[in-house]
Parts: sequence; C-alpha cells; structure tokens
Amino acid sequence: MTTTRRAFLGNAGVLAASAVLADGMRGMARADKPINLSGWVFKPDTVKDYIEFYNKKHAGQVKYEAIPWAQYHPTMETRALAGEIVDVMYCNHNNRERWFENGLIRAVDDLPGTDELKKKMTPANLDSLKSKDGSKLLGLPYFTSLFVLIYNEPMLQQAGIKAPAKSWDELVEHCTKLKKDKISDTPFLPNWNNSPSGTMPQFMSDCFSEGAQVFDAKNRVIADQEPGAAKAMERWQKVYKADLVNPEVLTKTSSTDTHRLFWTGRYAYHTNHSYYLKTIAAEPENSKLAPKKAKMAMYPGTGQTYMWTDSYVVNAKSKNLEDAWKLTRFLGGNLNGDWYVQRQWCLISGLDNPYPEMYDHPEIISSYDKWIDLKLLREQYKKGKVIAAYKEPWYGEYDTKAVAIIHNIIRGTTPVPKGLKELTALQKSLV
Amino acid sequence: MAPPGAGPASVRPARGSLRLSEGWFAFLLVLPALLGIFVVVLFPLAYSLWLSFTDVNLLRSTGPAFEIFGVRVPLFRFVGLQNYVRIFDDPLYWSSLWRTLYFVGAFVLEATLMGLGMALVLNERFGGRPLMRSLLLIPWSLSRVVVGLLWVGILDFEFGALNGLLHNLGLIERSISFFKDGFTALNVLVTVYMWNQAPFAALLFLAGMQSVSVDLYSAAEVDGAGYWQRFRYVTLPAIRPIMFLVLVLATVNGFLMLDLIYVLTMGGPANETTTISWLGFQTAFAFFKFGPGTAILYTLTALCLLVTVVYQRLILNRFEPEA
Repeated sequence: MTTTRRAFLGNAGVLAASAVLADGMRGMARADKPINLSGWVFKPDTVKDYIEFYNKKHAGQVKYEAIPWAQYHPTMETRALAGEIVDVMYCNHNNRERWFENGLIRAVDDLPGTDELKKKMTPANLDSLKSKDGSKLLGLPYFTSLFVLIYNEPMLQQAGIKAPAKSWDELVEHCTKLKKDKISDTPFLPNWNNSPSGTMPQFMSDCFSEGAQVFDAKNRVIADQEPGAAKAMERWQKVYKADLVNPEVLTKTSSTDTHRLFWTGRYAYHTNHSYYLKTIAAEPENSKLAPKKAKMAMYPGTGQTYMWTDSYVVNAKSKNLEDAWKLTRFLGGNLNGDWYVQRQWCLISGLDNPYPEMYDHPEIISSYDKWIDLKLLREQYKKGKVIAAYKEPWYGEYDTKAVAIIHNIIRGTTPVPKGLKELTALQKSLV
Repeated sequence: MAPPGAGPASVRPARGSLRLSEGWFAFLLVLPALLGIFVVVLFPLAYSLWLSFTDVNLLRSTGPAFEIFGVRVPLFRFVGLQNYVRIFDDPLYWSSLWRTLYFVGAFVLEATLMGLGMALVLNERFGGRPLMRSLLLIPWSLSRVVVGLLWVGILDFEFGALNGLLHNLGLIERSISFFKDGFTALNVLVTVYMWNQAPFAALLFLAGMQSVSVDLYSAAEVDGAGYWQRFRYVTLPAIRPIMFLVLVLATVNGFLMLDLIYVLTMGGPANETTTISWLGFQTAFAFFKFGPGTAILYTLTALCLLVTVVYQRLILNRFEPEA
C-alpha cells in the first residue's frame, strides 16, 4: 500500500484533531462535578496517593490541596467568607463545633451508611465527634490519639532498673537515680511545649491519671477544686526544680520537635502522642532508640490519659453532596471495604482510628509489632478520656492562654493553688 | 473639574476626536497605577482599620456589605471603640507592650551600632574587602525561618553547637539554657534579629559613607583632625539622612518582628517573649478574634508612626542639605 504525502498529512491532521477533541471531551467529563478536598500539611504525598487511588477506583474527580497547619483553619474560614466552597475538609476538634454552629459544615447523620459507621466506632470517640448537645455527628474520623508513656529500655537497664515506672512517684525516683548516677542529665521529657498540642493536653493527661477532673459536666474549669490536679502540678514543679527536665521543652514549638529530642537516647521517660513512638522506635535512620529500644508503658496512676479525635467534615453548601459524602466515607469510613485510608495511616504513620475491628487485621498487627506492643496500646485506648469543653466557643483562647499559667506553675513563679485558681478565673473571663 | 496639576496647556486632538487637557491625559496615564495602589494598599489599609472597630465573625457575615470588582466585602457589626477598650483592659497587652518597647529599643541600638561598625570597617581599604562585602549580605539574605532554625542549632540546650563547643573546651559542665528564663530568651531574640538585620544597616551606612567627598576628609586631615574627629565631624553629619533611614527601618522592623518568635519561642516561656505583634497574630489567627486582633496591631502602627515623627524631628529636621 502506498501513501501519498497529501494523504499522510490529511490523516495525521484528522488523528491530531480527534486526539485534541477526545482529550477535551474527557476534560469536560472530568470537570463535570469535581470535589475539592483541603487539609493541613501532613504527609501530603500519602494523601495524593490515596486520592489518585480513589479517583481511579471510584471514578472520582477529587482535587486535593494541602495548607500549612498554622494557617489552615483561618484560611478555610476566609475562603468560606469569600464564597468558596470546599466540599470536604480536615477539621481539628477545637474548631469543629464552631464551624457547625456557624453553618460552614453540616451534620452527617442523615447520609447513607452513617449508622453503620457509628456502630463500629468506640463510644468515646463517637461522643467526641458529636455536636455539643450530643444530637448530631459532625464528621468522620481522620485519626484519634492519646498521651502515652514511653521509656528508654537500654537506659533503664544501664541503671539497673528492671521495669518501667508504674506510678509517678516511682518515675520521679527513677529519674532522680539516673541523674545522680550521671546516666542522664535530664532523664524526663514531658510534652510541655508551647503549642496547643503540648502543655494543655499533657496537663489534662496528668490530671486524669491522678483521678482529677479538669472540667465539670457544664464544661467549667474545676481544676482548682481537684486535689489530683494540685498533686500533678506539685510533681511538675518538683521535677523542674530538680533539673530532671530539659528546661527548653517549654519553648519548643511543637510536639513533633519535642519528641525528636527523645531520638537522641539521652532521656529515660517521655510522654507524648502515641504515634510519635513509631518514629522513635521504628526509624533507625533518625532515632538512636530504633529498633524497639524505646517502649510504651501503661500511663501511671489511674492510667487515664487525654484522647482526642480529628475529623473530615462536609461543607454545608456543597453542590455535590453525594460525591462529597462518598469521598468522606472513603477517607473516614470504609467505602472501599478494606478501611483503605484508615489502614494507610496506621501502617505509614501509626495514626490510630476509632474502629477497633481494624486492629484484628494481620497486616496492622505485624506493622505495629515493629514499634509498639499493640495489645498494651489497645488497653491504653480503653482508658482514653475525652472532654467536651473544646466544643465551647471560648475553648481555643483558653487553651492557648492557659499555657502561660501552667508554665508559671512549672517554673515555680506561681504557687500551685494560685495557678490553678488562675486557670478557673481565665475561663470565667472568657465566657 | 480638572484633576490636581492640570495645566493650561492641552493636547491638541485630531479633528473629530475627544478634546483632552494635558492634566486629564496625564491623570489617565497614571490611573492604572493608582488603581493598583488603591486595590493592594489603600483599600486593605482602610478595611483593616474598619475591622478594628467591628465584631468580626468570618463564618457569619450577616452585617451590611458592599461589592468591589464583583467581590462581596462584608462590613460586620460596628462596635465603636469596644475592641480598643477591651485590649487596653488586658494586662497581657500592657506587659507585651513594655516588652515590645524593650525589644525594639535594644534591637535598634544593637543593629545600628553593629551596622555602623561594620560599615566603618568595610569603608577602609584592605585585602579581601570585596569578598567581605559579599559575605556581609548572607545573614540578611536568609529567610527568617531559616535564621531561626540556624540559631536553634547553635543555642539549643540539648544539641546546640555553642554548648558543645563550650563543653569540649572544658568551660562548662552542664549545658547552658538560653531559653529557660524569659528575659534571657528575649535578649536572644534581639541578638538573633540583630545578626539578621545589621548587615542591611551596614550596607546603607556604607553607601552613605562612600558618597562623602574625599576632599572633606583631606581638609579635615590638613586641619589636624584624627580618625575619631573625622568620624564625628565629617562622617556622622554626612550620613545623617542614612541614619534616619536606618533608624526608621530598624524600628518598624523591630515592632513587626514575628517569625523569629514563631520559630524560636512561640511567645514563651509563659508569655515572657510575647510582643505586641505576636499577641495580635495570636488574637486574630489562633483565637479568631479579628476585631481585637486588628485593634492590637493598629496600636503598633500608631507607635511606629509616632517614633518615625520623633526621629524626623531629632535627626532630619536638623539636617540642611547642600544646595
């Protein structure tokens, strides 16, 4: 068969035109009902991967955007003000109620499959995701976490300490010995950093572990009436005064920065979010305590610690509610039938979720076995304690301003009873 | 009505076209630039000032609104001076203000003296001077987040290079904590910011010194003036406008400094490194109280203006430029 130059050029033109048109048509089909997803920056490549998976497997048209954590919530609010509709968003627990009350997000109870997911969630996490009056579910879980006690096993062994501390008194005793024996200059690393994820959750964890409440049923601060809270603060003053703690932990800017100090292997005990143990105990390229030289112990005292749940929420003005909800179920539920996204977070980052059935999966068990005692972690979760105060409009400001009061107590510049009274007064001033 | 500056002369139009005075023609030429300035400078300034008198809730803009270039701009509920009264009632505002004044005073003094010193050295002739001048700009050209992280690497209690060096030299047994005490931490912030900003001051001073006529120095030498006398009676008067510029820039930069606090201390320990700019940022973006937040930051603007006027009176008004 012979082809003339004219015929070749003609055919090539037709082919090129069809290619352009076909792409255009596909583009039109894709742009038909795109769904926007915005989240704060945390492993954006992982998110991109599973969004790509979703777009292929579930014929989705999701556009994902990551915004730095510090600007995330104000940015989303400014965009809402400008009339932009982001269909599905990350939302931290402190802002969820406000977004709901002001009409930015909608409750998801009436959407298909919600009842089934509610049944699968642990009750405490479910409560935490509900509206202030407890009547509505405001989103699906992104992750849940709580404070755990982490210890440096080789250091304890070096000091002849056979088992990690079971009580706070024992922990202080161990730290005093380690300092005296010059094994560690500052053996204790509590998460007293200056960000919202540091000092205040740590304060609540230690109060709970002493059997104290921080808020009453009406979400009023009652720490000044709780002997357990005073006991926890006296212990903090004591360890700080005895130089058992790195004093600069008070000016660390995040929990991430704080946990990295534990990588050095120079500390014996550390309290922080559970998932940080993964980088400490399973990343030998970063941490001197990997593999598995750092371990988790049950939180001392009552064993109760502060637990919270961050979430995916659906925009109340989404023009494509069906697809927005489908994506939300993929992210925070089990749309794919194998807990795809929740499982990814467990495997990649040790971020937990409130669906206990996932933790029977062999892949999860074998992955966690590389960095933590999963059974113990699950036991710890049973003692995780949620609060409802963060659903109050004053909570964000209280949570930030209270840090200075707690830091003054720690450093001994404010006596414990006075400091705890200041916490109560601060809350009253904001209501 | 002709716009300001419209002269009597007019552009003679071609037959049948619109007759346009020279003033209007000039006005039309600069109109795009004026619009740009209005959109990116004047409007945000006026709007943010307005916000400081309102109760802002970004999520519920139920108050009156107007449209500009198709964008709805909510005006929110006017509350008069309520935001200002509220911030002036807050003891944290006043403690942050005194701290800010200390920070700015110390920073301006350090940055100006250090900049002047570096400029005096770099104004002399010596081998490697071009290289030194290039190196001088490195601290200034770094992003302040990078500067903060760099100094964390130097000063950190646990892994800081300075503690390591002092320890290796046998000068200390236990690491020094530069951020344990609030006042020390504040001075660390001053020093780090000075390290970052002094090179720019040096650059400005150097430019000023190089524009001084050599003849003046020669004449002073003939009159028997020594180095310090030449500096006092020739260099300093000649660089007075530059001194004004450096002082104004350093003061404004000092008042507005935020990023180093974000990276190094987050305003802690307690609130002991919280300055007005950090307090305003927190109030607006962490507590979502944009009304009081902008009110706090406008008090800072007022302070900057006040200090600039003082500098103007002290330095520039006494300066008589050559004809």
